[in-house]
Amino acid sequence: MKGGARAVIELRARLLWRRLTGRAGIGEGVARVTLLLVAVPVGLFFAVFLGLGTWQAVRAPGGLRTEVTAVAVYFGIWQTWTAVSLSLNEREGIDLRRFLVYPIPPWRVYALGLGSGLAADPVTLFWGVLLAGIFAGAAIARPGAWLLLLGALLVLFALATALYAALLEEFLALVLSSRRSREWAIVLSVAASVAILLYLAASATRPLQALAEALPALRIARWLAWPGACAAAAARHLYEREPARSLPWLGLLAAGAAGAGRLAFAIALGQARGAGAGAARAGGKGDARLPLPVGGRLGALVEKEWKYLLRHPLARIYAVLVPAVAALVGLGLEPRIPREARDVIRALPLFGLAAYAHVASQAFWLNSLGWERGGARLAYLAPVDGAEVLLAKNAVLYAYSLALFLASSLLVLVPGRPLPSWALPAALALHAGMAPYLYGAGNLVSILNPKAASFAVQRSATVPALSGLVGLGIVSTVGGLFSLPVLVALRLDSPWTLVGGWAALCAVGWIAYARVLSREGALLASRRDALLPAVCGDDA
Amino acid sequence: MLAIETRGLSRSFDGKPAVDGLDLRVPTGAFYGFLGPNGAGKSTTMRMLTGLLRPSRGEARVLGSDIERDASAVKTRIGVVPDGLALFERLSGAEMLRIHGQLYGLDRETAAGRAAELLDALELASEGGKLVQDFSHGMKKKLALGCALIHGPELLFLDEPFEGIDAVAVSGIRRMLQELVARRALTVFLTSHVLEVVERLVTHVGILHRGRLVAQGTLAEVRASGSLEETFIRMVGDERARAPGLSWLRGASP
Repeated sequence: MKGGARAVIELRARLLWRRLTGRAGIGEGVARVTLLLVAVPVGLFFAVFLGLGTWQAVRAPGGLRTEVTAVAVYFGIWQTWTAVSLSLNEREGIDLRRFLVYPIPPWRVYALGLGSGLAADPVTLFWGVLLAGIFAGAAIARPGAWLLLLGALLVLFALATALYAALLEEFLALVLSSRRSREWAIVLSVAASVAILLYLAASATRPLQALAEALPALRIARWLAWPGACAAAAARHLYEREPARSLPWLGLLAAGAAGAGRLAFAIALGQARGAGAGAARAGGKGDARLPLPVGGRLGALVEKEWKYLLRHPLARIYAVLVPAVAALVGLGLEPRIPREARDVIRALPLFGLAAYAHVASQAFWLNSLGWERGGARLAYLAPVDGAEVLLAKNAVLYAYSLALFLASSLLVLVPGRPLPSWALPAALALHAGMAPYLYGAGNLVSILNPKAASFAVQRSATVPALSGLVGLGIVSTVGGLFSLPVLVALRLDSPWTLVGGWAALCAVGWIAYARVLSREGALLASRRDALLPAVCGDDA
Repeated sequence: MLAIETRGLSRSFDGKPAVDGLDLRVPTGAFYGFLGPNGAGKSTTMRMLTGLLRPSRGEARVLGSDIERDASAVKTRIGVVPDGLALFERLSGAEMLRIHGQLYGLDRETAAGRAAELLDALELASEGGKLVQDFSHGMKKKLALGCALIHGPELLFLDEPFEGIDAVAVSGIRRMLQELVARRALTVFLTSHVLEVVERLVTHVGILHRGRLVAQGTLAEVRASGSLEETFIRMVGDERARAPGLSWLRGASP
C-alpha cells in the first residue's frame, strides 16, 4: 500500500481511537460495544432463519418456492440494509474536501473512507452474520464447488448494496443542495402521490383489484433495487443447479456495483470541488418572516427553529419518506386485516403511524442542540432562558411531526375502508400523548450527551451512538406505556377506553413536561462547560 | 467607574491553569486592547467575562454586576463577538441579525429596521439573502459584529475582530468602532494580534502572558517611550526556539 493511503488509514484509526478514549468518547465506546454485543446474537437469530430458508430452497426441486425464498431473502436484506444506512447508522464519514490538497488520488481516499466507515460500524457485523447464515444453509443442503459461486454472489451483493447506499446518499445530498431541484423533487413526489390516489379513487369499489391490475407495471420498479433483484435471480439459478445461467446476473451485479461506486464518487468529488460555489438564498428579500402566534424571545427562537428544521435535508427526506411508508401501509397492510376484525385492530395501522411520526423524527429530539454548532453559544450569550430554548425546539418539532402524521393518515384513510369515528381522535391523542414523554426524555439526552451534527445527509453523524441506544430504550418504554390502554380496550372490547386512556396519559405527560422543563432549562444553563466543547469545539 | 473589574479570576483545564489570578480594571468609555501571544489565555478570559465559561476561582463584575450571579442583567447590556463566532449558519444574514436582535429583547419591527441599517453599514446589504454558511470568513466576522451591535450594547467584547479580514474591511470596522466609542461612551474590550491596528485604536492596554497579567494601564503608560510592538515583545519575550535542523528545506531533494 502506498504511503499516502496508509497515512489516511492511520489518520482514521487514530481519530476513532482518540474519540473513543476521549472524555466524551466513553459513552460512544459503551454504545459501540453494546451494539456489537447485540448485533451478534440478533444476527445469529435471523441468520438461522435465513439459513433454514436457503437450506429448503436449495433442496427444493425448483420453481416458485425457490424463487419466493430468493426474492424475499435478498430484497429483504437489501431493503433493511439500505434503510439503515440512510437513516439510522452512525457511519464515520470522510470529508473529501479536506483531502483534495494531498497528493493522493481522490478515488482512493473515497474508497478508503467508505471501507473504513463500514468496518467501524458495528451494524456491518450484523449483515455479515446474516450473509454467513445464507451460506451455511446452502453449504449444509448441498456441499460442492457451486458454493464458490454463491460466496462470490454474497460478496458482490454486499459490495453492491453498500455502494448503492453510498450512491443514494450522495444523490440525495446533491439533489437537496439545490433549491430548484429540491422544489422539483417535492412537486414530482406530490404529483405522483396525487396520481396514485386518483387512480385508486377512480376504482373506489375495488381498490385492491385496481392495484393488482397495475402490478405488472409495478414489477418494473423492482429494478430500482437492482442489487436485490440481480442477487435473487443469480441465487435462484444457483439453487436450481444452473450455475452457468447465474453468471450473467453475477456479471450484472459486479458491473452495477462498479457503476454505482463510480457515480457516487463522481458526485462526491463534484460536490467537494464545487462546495461553496452556488450560494443558497434563503428567500426573496433574505428575511422571510413567519407569522407566529408567539412574540418576544420565544417567538424568535420558534422562528429560528422552524427555519432550521425546514432547511434540514433529513426533515425534507422524512417529509417524503414517512407519507410513502403510510401509502404502503394503506395499500398493503390495511386491506389484509380481516373485515371481521375488531375496530381496535383495524385502527392499528393508523396508531402505528402516529407513533412512527415521532420515531422518524428522533434525530431531532435526541440531539436537538447538535445542529446549532457555533450558534449554540448564543444560548449562553443572549439573555434567554434555557427552558425557552428547549420549548421552542420541542414545539416546532411537534408541529412538524404532527404534519407528518396528518399527511400519512390521509394516505391510510382515503384508500382504506372507513374507520370508526373514535379512531382519528384516539390517534391524535396518542400522537399528542407520546410527545411530552419523548421530548422530555430527549431534552435530557440532548443536554447530557450532545454532539456536533452535520447538516449533510451523507457525512458524519446525526445522533451519537449512545444517544441512539438510549433513544431505543425511551421509544420502547413509551411505546410499552401507551400499549397498555390497547390491551385494556381489547380485553373489555371498549374502544372508548382507548381514547380515555390515551387522553389521560397525554394530560399526565404534558403536566409532567411543564414541571420538568424549567429544571431541564437550568440543567442546560449549568452544562455550558461540557456542551460548548461538544457542539462548537470550544476548549474544554 | 469601571466597566469590567475582576479579582483573582482563574480558569484551569485538566488542572492546568489557563488564566491565573487575573485582576483586570477596564474603565467605562475605554477602548481596551487585551493583548498576549497565542495560548496566553485571552479567549478564555473573554469567555469567562461573557458567560460562556465558568471561572474556576475569583470573581468578575461587568457593568457593575456579577457575571455569574446576575447573568441575565449583564447579558442584555453587552455585545459579544466570540472566538469562533456565534452564528446560526442556516439563517440568512438578514434573518440572523433580526432574530439576534429579538433574542436581546427588541421587537420584531425594530430588529428588522436595525438589521437593514447594519447590513448597509457593514456593506453586506447585497448579501443579506445568502445563508450565513455561504458567507466568506470576513463577511461572517462583519455579520457577527452587526449582531453584537444590534441591541445597542454599553460594552462590546470583540475576540480577534480583525483576524481574516482584508485591509479595507479592517479600516471600515475600525472607523465604525471609533465613531461609536466617541459618540456614546461605548466601552470596547478587544483582543487582537494586529498590534499596529490596536495601537492606533485603543486608549488602554492589558498584556497577558501565560495566563497572568504582566502589564495594564493607558496606552501611553504601557508603551512608555517605545512602540507597542517593542513593549509587547519585551514583556512576553521572544521565546521561539530556533529550529536546529531544517537543512532539508535548503536542499533540493525531499
